Amino acid sequence: MLIVPCPNCGPRNAADLRYVGESRPRPDPNSASAKEWRAYLYERANPAGLLRETWYCRSGCRRYFTLERDTVTNEFTNPPTPVAKLGKRP
Amino acid sequence: MTRLPPQPGEVIDRSRPVDFTWNGRAMSGFAGDTIASALTAGGVRVVSRSMKYRRPRGYMSNDYWDPNGLVQVGDDPNVRSAHRLIEPDMAVEAQNVWPSLEHDLRAVTGLASRFLTAGFYYKTFMRPMWLWPTYEKVLSTFSPGGRIDLDTPHRYHDKRYTHPDVVVAGGGPAGMAAALAVAETGAMVLLVEHGHRLGGHLLWGDDHDRTLAAELAAAVEAAGVEVLVDSTVTGRYEDNWTAIVQRNHPVAVERLIKARAKVLIAAPGLIERPYVFDGNDKPGVMLSGAVRRFVNMHAVRPGSTAVVFTANSDGDAAAADLERAGVEVTVVDARRGEGIVRALGGSTSVKGVELADGRMLDCDLLVTAAGWTAPTSLLNMSGDRPVYDDAAARFFPSVPIGNVLATGGLAGDGNPDELIEHARATGRLAAARARAVSHRLQAATARAQPVEGEAPGWPPDIRPALPRDPHPALFRSTTHGVVDFSEDVSSKDMVGAAAEGYDSVELLKRYTTATMGPSQGKLETVNTVAVLAEARGQTIAEVGTTVWRPPYAPVTMGALGGRLFEPVRVSSVHPWHEANGATFMLAGQWIRPDHYGDPAGEVRNTRQNVGIMDVTPLGKLDLRGPDVPKLLSHLYTNKWMKLAVGSVRYGIMCAEDGVILDDGVTGRLGEQHYMMTTTSSGAATVWEWAENWLQTEHPDWRVHVTPVTSGYTSINVAGPKSRSLMRRLAGDVDLDPDAFRYMQVRTATVAGIPDCFMWRIGFTGELSFELHVPAGHGLAVWEGLLEAGEDLGIRPFGVEAQRIMRLEKGHFIVGQDTDGLTKAPAVGLRHLIKLDKDDFAGKPELAWALEDTSAPVLVAIQPTHHGRVVPDEAAQIVRPGTDEIIGRITSSRMSPSLHRSVCLGQVLPEVSDPGTELTVVMLDGRRITARVMEHHAHFDPDGMRVRG
Amino acid sequence: MLTSTRTECGSVAELPAFESPVSRSFVSSEGASTEPRRSGAALTLHDVSATTKIIVRAGPETAAHHQLHASFGTSRTEEGVLVVGQRPDEWIILGPADPSRALVDRLDRSGHVSVIDHTHSRALFRLTGAEAASVLEKLCSLDWNDHMTPDGAAVSASVAKVTCDIVRDDLDGTRSYLISCDRSYGQYLFDAILDARHEFGVGPAGGPVG
Repeated sequence: MLIVPCPNCGPRNAADLRYVGESRPRPDPNSASAKEWRAYLYERANPAGLLRETWYCRSGCRRYFTLERDTVTNEFTNPPTPVAKLGKRP
Repeated sequence: MTRLPPQPGEVIDRSRPVDFTWNGRAMSGFAGDTIASALTAGGVRVVSRSMKYRRPRGYMSNDYWDPNGLVQVGDDPNVRSAHRLIEPDMAVEAQNVWPSLEHDLRAVTGLASRFLTAGFYYKTFMRPMWLWPTYEKVLSTFSPGGRIDLDTPHRYHDKRYTHPDVVVAGGGPAGMAAALAVAETGAMVLLVEHGHRLGGHLLWGDDHDRTLAAELAAAVEAAGVEVLVDSTVTGRYEDNWTAIVQRNHPVAVERLIKARAKVLIAAPGLIERPYVFDGNDKPGVMLSGAVRRFVNMHAVRPGSTAVVFTANSDGDAAAADLERAGVEVTVVDARRGEGIVRALGGSTSVKGVELADGRMLDCDLLVTAAGWTAPTSLLNMSGDRPVYDDAAARFFPSVPIGNVLATGGLAGDGNPDELIEHARATGRLAAARARAVSHRLQAATARAQPVEGEAPGWPPDIRPALPRDPHPALFRSTTHGVVDFSEDVSSKDMVGAAAEGYDSVELLKRYTTATMGPSQGKLETVNTVAVLAEARGQTIAEVGTTVWRPPYAPVTMGALGGRLFEPVRVSSVHPWHEANGATFMLAGQWIRPDHYGDPAGEVRNTRQNVGIMDVTPLGKLDLRGPDVPKLLSHLYTNKWMKLAVGSVRYGIMCAEDGVILDDGVTGRLGEQHYMMTTTSSGAATVWEWAENWLQTEHPDWRVHVTPVTSGYTSINVAGPKSRSLMRRLAGDVDLDPDAFRYMQVRTATVAGIPDCFMWRIGFTGELSFELHVPAGHGLAVWEGLLEAGEDLGIRPFGVEAQRIMRLEKGHFIVGQDTDGLTKAPAVGLRHLIKLDKDDFAGKPELAWALEDTSAPVLVAIQPTHHGRVVPDEAAQIVRPGTDEIIGRITSSRMSPSLHRSVCLGQVLPEVSDPGTELTVVMLDGRRITARVMEHHAHFDPDGMRVRG
Repeated sequence: MLTSTRTECGSVAELPAFESPVSRSFVSSEGASTEPRRSGAALTLHDVSATTKIIVRAGPETAAHHQLHASFGTSRTEEGVLVVGQRPDEWIILGPADPSRALVDRLDRSGHVSVIDHTHSRALFRLTGAEAASVLEKLCSLDWNDHMTPDGAAVSASVAKVTCDIVRDDLDGTRSYLISCDRSYGQYLFDAILDARHEFGVGPAGGPVG
């Protein structure tokens, strides 16, 4: 089982967390076109390589955070970042 | 009898005879005997039939991997009989033989055998399709498995997690030496041995070997190493998540250990490889290791006249062991260019052998020592791709892996001192790397002991490489023989398959099923590759090998299941429900009273008098802070900025795709204090959903969300007499209809319990008070209500009565009347979608959904001419006279209040107008007519009762 | 009539007996005692669900945050009350009702600070004994060795598939863990822990398995 580095709890089993998925900005709900909004809902890059993704530490600190993982090697290349610190709608 | 006089290395206890049965026949052995050694000592030669051709088979490798040694022990199928020790009264039987092991009528003659060649599954049994049921029956008789007993009692399987610094897989000399070196550094090490005792191949060696084994085992014990024998490292997964099946646990039948090893050392030793030649599967053809284990460990003489075909020192040692045991031995030495061509004799035993020089020798035991397979499984699972070494005639690891280290036979050869020094160096390296991992873990973990100083660097691998002994490349003789004994696949099948075009190793494997049977490649992988290489005219290195995946050895379902963790939740009132005849239902993890014997009666009583229901599972989130209204406005589709203290409002929540996620009421208890309720199943989801918005999009909002679902026992008090009842128990609250109105909330002391709150809402459609009582006193209040309401006709009601009443009232249930595509406008609550809010979850989709005129809508439906017929839930609604589906029934019950059936259903908008006639197809095919109703509520559409 | 839902830290002393989530008949000899009893057995499991449990949530910008003075993952004792840094910016106060309430009353409540009495929301068990970590190893995937989870450590994790808050709170040098879960799972978790410790040869009340 993969170990996921939670910024608060430290390394935890992936089963202790919920995988939220690829981190993606939320379009402005008042101006987004249907195409843009549905891309936000359904489209994923799914790269073989570096991916910024969001996790929720469900059994631990109950915080959402993002980190960068190499989907080929499962190595986490960046220290995890609490999501809030990324700022709104990057 | 072929039991030898006492041998110096024997592991049997002759003072403890053990009686057991073989196919019903009384047998005897000694404590320490495997089933295989006891049977062989008792003169048994044939123990199984081959899978396809039903050929008689005897022990060949005499170890866990022996493909011919699978037996049934009592209700336990597929037992590895050369590994399992005998126990008193054990009932051992041959598997899948008919009518008997000696006379299997399915034995295939030469004529029929051509239908069973490579790919026979695909060729012989494909057409015509309508014959498949017959084909399946035929094919299933080829299943090599034992008998499953569905009445097997449940046995205790256990599970354990552990975090050792180092796990060592393999308790031979290398594994022991490595574990010892780890322990000497003070690190925690778990040493796992597949067999019943530490020692590995030293156990069937000479005096010197056994002395070394005993010394190492004693040192391991003295060093405090945790040793698991009769246990197997079955898999290595991401980040060294290591699965170990422990079979020697004192309490559990088996225990699955999930070890997070900082470093894993693979030291499984080598597996002896069979030689491919005509007749190589006849009983009496054995590997050198098999013979040595029989003679030296179990004092069993496996034959009386032997020919030993040897290419290495183990074969030489086997010949010497046999001679010492009084067997007449002829040696055929591959290193001198001698060879064997075919085994001779009948089907039940080898009778002789034809040599390459044309000689014919009589024998009842033909031993081969043709070389080794390196079981690189754990390295494969870690990302290694082993590479073939021509000179040593076996595969070696090629990719260095930081936290998985190989030693022993996997890494090379050498004299015992060299091997042990390599293992010790491996242990020291593993311990040093584990220290570095440990330092990082501690430094990154808030709760851990603080660590001093800089993180240690990653210790480099400076172990000197082990030498590799040259070995003749011996795979197949000039004749064809069996390659995969489990699957009955011959080298001839493989050459044929390669000629048909299945000439890549992975394709060949799948087409012929070679390496896919119970032995999973342990004995046959390298021969498979070698035969294919020969057929393609290439080298083994060019052909490459297949990838070994978990498990290393078969794992029982019991071990995987372990102790079953199936959490269940109950409310504080649960003991009362149990004592008062409730019939329970499982709702998610909640155990809830479905009814107390008469759901229709419960409905009638609630509508006439007063009923109480335990609704504790209702999700409850305590919300505090100045920005709660902003959060509510964002989660719900309607408006929340002006909810007054003391008021309650209903709302629906949608996901970002506009689909209904949950619904419920939220009340404002104080200036900055709200209580949100969710559906019972939605509580956790809504909590995470709220946290998601607070943490990611709106970290500036000051809101604390705390789940308090089971902190309150929630009791719905419903019915026309509910106010009278509440007046008796909540005297400090003004319950006058004008003082405490519908959709309001009050804090209260109820039945002497302070800190309760209650609100007036009406899922059942009756005047009702939903009480929320601190859970430690929930049972007392429940009992207090029943006592105080006795003269009012109070009765409890369960989930079924509630479901009936809400359906009579046309209230939908998220997930029952809505599905994964139902957006908010479809349920008749368009007025609750407030697009003039700046933002809320799912807003764009809901804006578009409000314009959508094609999506199904939820309507109330009543059967017309058949008022007593209750349509099945999920029954389809079709266009009259056709099979075109235009809707479905989502909820359906007989209404005790209206004496007719009532439904909710989703239909296309074109047939959603009140009065529209619908055709409902019942599960039995009958079609009935139903009508769309004007209101969702079948009962009291004006809501007079609930507001009373 | 309506001001706020609850007095934040109401004492349960004068009310009808607090009902533990663990059925009474099952632990009749132990009841819902708030104090762990001394026992001669190597391993004991006590239902201490009646212990007062108060959640305090306070961000780093608040005075209360600094007054609580137990960082995430650690705990400390103040006048017989355990102050546990259970989650970032979130503490749980465990102890007898009066001193727990007094401790919370001393907090500076200015700013965005929430105090929530969780006494009724959580079941709480105390598992004590040299083998206590071995029992947890059968239920939970965390590392219970001293260097990763020393005395005083606080952590949240899945125990027998139920999310629990766990504090290591040794008693006179003997390993001891306070394990709390949602009240509704209380009976299930109590049974699961009992089942896990079966192999160590002791029963519910700390005596030999009957």
